Amino acid sequence: MGNQRKLKLGAILHGVGGGSLWRHPDMPADASVSLAYYKHQAQKAEAGKFDFVFVADGLYITEKSIPHFLNRFEPITILSALGAVTNHIGLIGTLSTSYSEPFTVARQFSSIDHISKGRAGWNVVTSPLEGSALNFGGKPHPSHPDRYRIAEEFLEVVKGLWDSWEDDAFVRDKASGVFFDPNKLHRLNHKGEFFSVQGPLNIARSKQGQPVVFQAGSSDSGRSLAAKTADAVFTGPESLEEAKEFYRDVKQRTARNGRNPAHTLIFPGISVIIGRTQAEAEEKYHQVAQLVTIEYALDHLGRFFEHHDFSQYPLDEPFPDLGNLGQNSFRSTTDKIKQRAKAENLTLREVALQAATPRSPFIGTPEQVADQLVQWFEEEAADGFIVGGATPDSFDLFVEQVVPILQARGVFRTEYESDTLRGNLGIPIPENRYTSKKHAGIIPT
Amino acid sequence: MTAQRQLKLGAILHGVGSSTSLWRHPDMPADASVNIDLYKQWVKKAEAGKFDFVFIADGLYITENSIPHFLNRFEPLTILSALAAVSSNIGLVGTVSTSYSEPFNIARQFGSLDMISGGRAGWNVVTTPLEGTALNFGGRAHPEHDKRYEIATEYLEVVRGLWDSWEDDAFVRNKETGQFFDPAKLHTLNHQGTYFSVKGPLNIARSRQGHPVIFQAGSSNVGRDFAAKQADAVFTGHETLQEAVAFYEDVKQRAVSFGRKREDVLIFPGIGPIIGRTREEAERKYEEVVNLVSVEEALKYLGRFFEHHDFSQYDVDAPFPDVGDLGRNSFQFGTDRIKANAREKGLTLRQVALSVATPRPGFLGTPEEVADRVQEWFEAGAADGFIISSVVPRGLEDFVELVVPILQRRGLFREEYAHDTLRENLGLKIPVNRYAAGKVTGRV
Repeated sequence: MGNQRKLKLGAILHGVGGGSLWRHPDMPADASVSLAYYKHQAQKAEAGKFDFVFVADGLYITEKSIPHFLNRFEPITILSALGAVTNHIGLIGTLSTSYSEPFTVARQFSSIDHISKGRAGWNVVTSPLEGSALNFGGKPHPSHPDRYRIAEEFLEVVKGLWDSWEDDAFVRDKASGVFFDPNKLHRLNHKGEFFSVQGPLNIARSKQGQPVVFQAGSSDSGRSLAAKTADAVFTGPESLEEAKEFYRDVKQRTARNGRNPAHTLIFPGISVIIGRTQAEAEEKYHQVAQLVTIEYALDHLGRFFEHHDFSQYPLDEPFPDLGNLGQNSFRSTTDKIKQRAKAENLTLREVALQAATPRSPFIGTPEQVADQLVQWFEEEAADGFIVGGATPDSFDLFVEQVVPILQARGVFRTEYESDTLRGNLGIPIPENRYTSKKHAGIIPT
Repeated sequence: MTAQRQLKLGAILHGVGSSTSLWRHPDMPADASVNIDLYKQWVKKAEAGKFDFVFIADGLYITENSIPHFLNRFEPLTILSALAAVSSNIGLVGTVSTSYSEPFNIARQFGSLDMISGGRAGWNVVTTPLEGTALNFGGRAHPEHDKRYEIATEYLEVVRGLWDSWEDDAFVRNKETGQFFDPAKLHTLNHQGTYFSVKGPLNIARSRQGHPVIFQAGSSNVGRDFAAKQADAVFTGHETLQEAVAFYEDVKQRAVSFGRKREDVLIFPGIGPIIGRTREEAERKYEEVVNLVSVEEALKYLGRFFEHHDFSQYDVDAPFPDVGDLGRNSFQFGTDRIKANAREKGLTLRQVALSVATPRPGFLGTPEEVADRVQEWFEAGAADGFIISSVVPRGLEDFVELVVPILQRRGLFREEYAHDTLRENLGLKIPVNRYAAGKVTGRV
């Protein structure tokens, strides 16, 4: 019998979280900029044998942005800090290909990979918000399809730079005085449509070869890019069916690209609430939902639609017709919102409140939540989950009460198999492309 | 009674070092430049020694001829963030170039390091001298010297403006009323300049020290003006006390001419001390590093001062050859000295080459001798503090264990941290938010 497929888990570190959670009596209102809070969560996740922690990001805010977005750690720096105080857990951060230089990005993720001895990962995004362009020179924000072409070339450059040094390039022979083998140093010499980068990179590959590449777009372009380039894919499905459709589609696309679908992992993001009873879990949900004001809900909704001002419409009338608004930013989310509003005849108030405090299916007792996770996993809706607590106590409760059930059922590890992210995710170390070319006789040794 | 003026100390953490060959020393881990455990040890050592800060240099372009440390090393913001998590009082200063990055990203990353560390971040602003760098960033022409400083001036303006996006009491966080922040205390920069257009606001607030401390290192005329106008602290490097004093006075006076006070800008010469419990031990440590360099390398290095003369044609163990006037047209002062020294001491070619490749540091001797020289420079007005490089293995450890206690005993250096922000430890003022009280205060 072959190795049993095992569940993977990631923890989203997002400070005060979404909505009005910051108002909860048990949530430290400055969590988004508290190193102690982030350390606690990372160390808790590591105690729970999680595969990784994940930090999301954004590059543009207005007064209407949610509290967490207004004032938070930047991903590369906070992950580096967490890397210094953890030993096994992966460290994944979001960085946009639309407003950074490939050389710098390659360097920074590789540096985290060395700091953490092989636990870094990069969530590749293309920056949905048009406003981001205003912080970076004011050139027009690239259109949706262009952003994905840029991202694809950007990734090509970064991966090429990561391979600048073959794994045994550094000889470091004190007696002979040979520090490195010049035949194992390679200049990328990339000249493409969007980027021109010579190289070489001034940092070598780590224990895991290259940082793990995550990707998160759910649109057609996003899925396509993920299927070509990603080791793992985040998604935000609203239902089991949606999750299964996404899983099937991305795995098939991956196979069509000549890659092994088992090495492209699908991670739905889920929000959990744990209670000793179902009723207690429901009560916790309501306590959080009640913290949201309608003003907040409208601002929150507006963010998906280029910061559109929804307060101009009557609240209890049908959701307004917005035409194409939203297609250049969070396309898949805004399409879904519009479609559901129409299908269920929702008012603006109903759409806003639902968007502000989404009702996750993962609300209940530890056994109920574990059952759901196992069902999704076994029905091929997920290879793993990115878990966020929707109440201040739920993440800790998940680690303390849900993980042991998953372990007892044999679907989740009781000890780390490896001390690298790739090792724990079960995905292979990519061979250095120049080493491969040498083995194939394409370039001289 | 006024308190005795206090020395400041920084430690450059530089992996296998700034020479071509220190990595070969038996006591130097050859992978030091990418060894996280070692960097953690070093920051803890420097903090035990009550240093004001550790410093990470940087570069963005390498070739096969770059020194070992440059070939494969940590990136500054990542390593400093990691070190922030394992330290509590020591400053964390890193080099980032204004020529190949976006002000919004840098404002954010330094702001984040500052927040993570509780107010201990510092940014060494460089403009990137190496032309080759442009090839890694799109291949546009590398800007020439003066233009790079113009760009850096505007860049700093943008970054400082972004750091002030949130007034210090903007975050109300009132759970009862539901007010997270006061919109009147959020400011959108709306910068439209020659080189940059940045709207803002920044998505991170100021730390307890207000802004990261700004360091600078240029020594050209334009560089000194830039430092005198913009920097909180200036790195420099001089061989003699006289040169160091002249630089110190020059930058302080320029600062005053720009409307600042002398104490607003601190001068830090870099030194690479070699310390032995006895003078002999110090000399032996120096000899050890001299002999790490291969003769071939040393001859090539020597040749550069003499119009790339090929010294490998001579017998290395014969007296230094007579090369006539060669060298007078390029490094005249240096080559005359080399020739005179060789003649006076009867040195062989090998001896000359090795000693030129690894110059004898001025700060070499017993702990008392090194402390004396540090004190001499400090009191002569050559320095407000020093950046210590490790030019021998355990150079930092030696300084912390052997020299710092002497400086402490003499009342020149702190025995305990009085503060946990970099600005306060350096004795610098926390900048007022430019938007506070509706006044735009800004800097000169």
